[in-house]
Amino acid sequence: MTKLLEVKDVVAGYGDGPAILNGASIDVQPGKVHCIIGPNGAGKSTLLKAICGMLKVRQGSVMFKGQNLKGKRPDQVLREGICFVPQERALFPKMTVRENLRMGGFSMTDKATLEKRIDEIEERFPILRERRDQHAGTMSGGQQQTLAMARTMILRPEIVMLDEPSLGLAPKIVQEVFDIMKVMTEDGITVLLVEQNALMGLKHADWGVVLDLGRTLFEGPAKEVLTDPRIQELYLGGQKAA
Amino acid sequence: MSDLIQILILGLALGGVYALMGAGLSLVFGVMRIVNLAHPSLIMLGAYVAYWAFRLYGIDPLIILPVAMVILAATGVILYKLVFEREARSAKYSEMTVLLTFAFAMVFEGALATAFTNTQRVTSPAYATDAIFIADIFIPLGQLYAGIVSLVLIAGLALWLKYTRFGYAIRATTQNREAAELLGVNVNFVGLVSFAIGLALAGAAGALVSFVFSFYPSKHWEWIAILMSLVVLGGMGSILGTVVAAYTLSVVAAYVGFFFGATWSTLTFFVALFVVLLVRPQGLFGEKPELA
Amino acid sequence: MAQTYENTDEILAARRAYNDTLAQAHDARRATWFPLLIVALLMLVPALQFVGNYNYVIHLMLYTLMYVTMAAGWNILGGYTGYISLGHSVFFAVGGYFAGMIFARLGISTIIMAPVAGLVCAALGYLIGLITLRVRGPSFIISSLALVMIFRILFEKWQFIGGAAGLSLPINDLSVQWAKLPYYYAFLAMAVFGVWASYRVRHSKFGLGLRAISKDEVKAESAGIDTRRYKVLAFAMSAFLFGAAGAVWGEYLTYVRPNIFIHILYFSVWPALMCILGGKGTIAGPVVGAVLIVAFNEFFVATLGSSTIHILVTGMIMALTLMFFPLGLVGTLAKHRRLPRILNWD
Repeated sequence: MTKLLEVKDVVAGYGDGPAILNGASIDVQPGKVHCIIGPNGAGKSTLLKAICGMLKVRQGSVMFKGQNLKGKRPDQVLREGICFVPQERALFPKMTVRENLRMGGFSMTDKATLEKRIDEIEERFPILRERRDQHAGTMSGGQQQTLAMARTMILRPEIVMLDEPSLGLAPKIVQEVFDIMKVMTEDGITVLLVEQNALMGLKHADWGVVLDLGRTLFEGPAKEVLTDPRIQELYLGGQKAA
Repeated sequence: MSDLIQILILGLALGGVYALMGAGLSLVFGVMRIVNLAHPSLIMLGAYVAYWAFRLYGIDPLIILPVAMVILAATGVILYKLVFEREARSAKYSEMTVLLTFAFAMVFEGALATAFTNTQRVTSPAYATDAIFIADIFIPLGQLYAGIVSLVLIAGLALWLKYTRFGYAIRATTQNREAAELLGVNVNFVGLVSFAIGLALAGAAGALVSFVFSFYPSKHWEWIAILMSLVVLGGMGSILGTVVAAYTLSVVAAYVGFFFGATWSTLTFFVALFVVLLVRPQGLFGEKPELA
Repeated sequence: MAQTYENTDEILAARRAYNDTLAQAHDARRATWFPLLIVALLMLVPALQFVGNYNYVIHLMLYTLMYVTMAAGWNILGGYTGYISLGHSVFFAVGGYFAGMIFARLGISTIIMAPVAGLVCAALGYLIGLITLRVRGPSFIISSLALVMIFRILFEKWQFIGGAAGLSLPINDLSVQWAKLPYYYAFLAMAVFGVWASYRVRHSKFGLGLRAISKDEVKAESAGIDTRRYKVLAFAMSAFLFGAAGAVWGEYLTYVRPNIFIHILYFSVWPALMCILGGKGTIAGPVVGAVLIVAFNEFFVATLGSSTIHILVTGMIMALTLMFFPLGLVGTLAKHRRLPRILNWD
């Protein structure tokens, strides 16, 4: 099993506060969709924030392609090829769609390439071309999430981390979010997904990770996680996978 | 009738100066979520730079203006590095830093008053007391120059924010700090630069104010309340809002002063602040109430 | 594969234990006898006058007690609720003027009128709070500063209450030896009341609501707390204590004047600073802060004397406290579990 990203026994928390993560580990395999599930306060979002450098990793290691990301700033992690789309407001509401896309390529120095990639993205997501001069904050929730996810593809990252992309969206639109995720994997992007809606998330994933008490409790192929009776009882609300 | 036009013109000229005084404050608030209550005391520092340059060496305040900007920008870099960089990481950031800037306002006031006493000062280049007449309307040259210079600086700031890469970074950080950081913006550096620019604008405002108003260190209290009204009225962090609020309130204050007397003119700003809080807490250009 | 639990009960138990470690255990050892002892000693202090002239000591203690009253009041709003006001000198002045006018016209002592003056300020605070508490954080601080400016101008312009010159009040006819006594006991009573009230608020459902507001107002509201009413009541309570203190201070000084009473440094900033220095949100904090600031001020005025340096140094203390001890003395000690038992009044 090749590992693209190997998170090992990470301890992390906010500021001087208590540790939220107490030894979380994940092995991320290239090209796959990984879904992290767990109850509220389990440390799911905290784990993504620790990987991308927004939170200090107190102990443990985050190995990406042979180098430790621990202690790097978010902008440095981004340059390594890991994009993070935080929960809800990932956009700049008073910037136009076009300006938002440009911000997506902020770390690129070559302006011509940037404009070319923005064109490509607009090609794939016509709604973004249609709305290009509209302020992002005035679009619908689904369109905003489309923009936030499409924006990460400008940098052609290796890993995209999504924190609850379906949050607050109508069920019909949630499917669109997972469709975009599929587009990403077709491009060879590895996805690391945190989902509150565990059933939904696992169904679209290859690999399932259960995080609780700040630790990784279970890890395995998504199908197995989905059918494990203990996990069903604890984390899937007793629902059986359809 | 010509009285009314006269007042309008005086109000507009001062409005530019208020706008410049508020623009730096608004920029810093937008990027760093700091209401810098020390801003007015730093404008005061700029005013003293201009005053002493004129008094000791006879240098025109408009010429010393860039120097005041550089001195204040340097002060900004030092303050940011010593204080705000580490503060930005602490919890309860917003309200504690307001108190902190309040403490610094007292430090600067105390230092200026200890060094230069609380005597009223005013820089008096020839144009400060000169005026031009158009029909029977007179325009004081000092205020006219100050208004024009202010407008040029604010326009420069706006263009820079709109079209440059760093401008993008500043606007992005203002709107969503976390997302900006995740897209590769070094938000700490953006904070440093905006703080320095904000204070450079304070320096420029100080140089202009030095020949428009008389000043003494403890007068910054009055400026605090005036500038804060502008920033709240304009919607915290919106530079455009601040500028519009500055012109509006300055004109209204000029009329109030004309009809009811000078003391009441200052009151305009504070009453406006309360009316805004009552009617539209998010200000003219703000989008949601400040709840953080 | 990481550590695996065999059955679900085990995991639920582990989760419970984990949550408990996150919640900091509350140190319940409280020394109630200590503040009571201090109050008893304070009641005996005026007996010093039998053996000599200790007017200066009495003045200093009375002055400190007045600040304890205000700092305790500020604590209810600024410490528990998290709304930092830098405009409470307004209520100090309104209390001073209200009781002062009645004293000057009707001859009723301000000590008797102090609770009424407090209520007037509470009512005013309630009304002002309805407006200014609509915003929080920086906007609220700004509105409190604007309040000072507005009232300063109004008081200076209102000729009925003496305009900028203010009111002169008659001097009481006690001998010099005992002249300060009524005020001393009045301030002692107020300080005790203030500290007691802040204790009671802290341990009530109301106080819990206030602290929830301070932590996260949106969540507090969704938890069913009527945040608006809670905040406004907290504002009114703190205004009450400022108003009562201002009432008696006028008679003690024998005059009420806008520039003295709405002084932003002494009656808005200092109570806030005392609270922060001592530890906002704690019971003992405001008391410790008041003692420290008044003591420091006496030392400083005696050695340097210049009011401009005074502002400079007050600002520096405030800046250093905020940067290095944002929790204040009591708060920082408590966090490191080094707080002497006698200062744990929570």
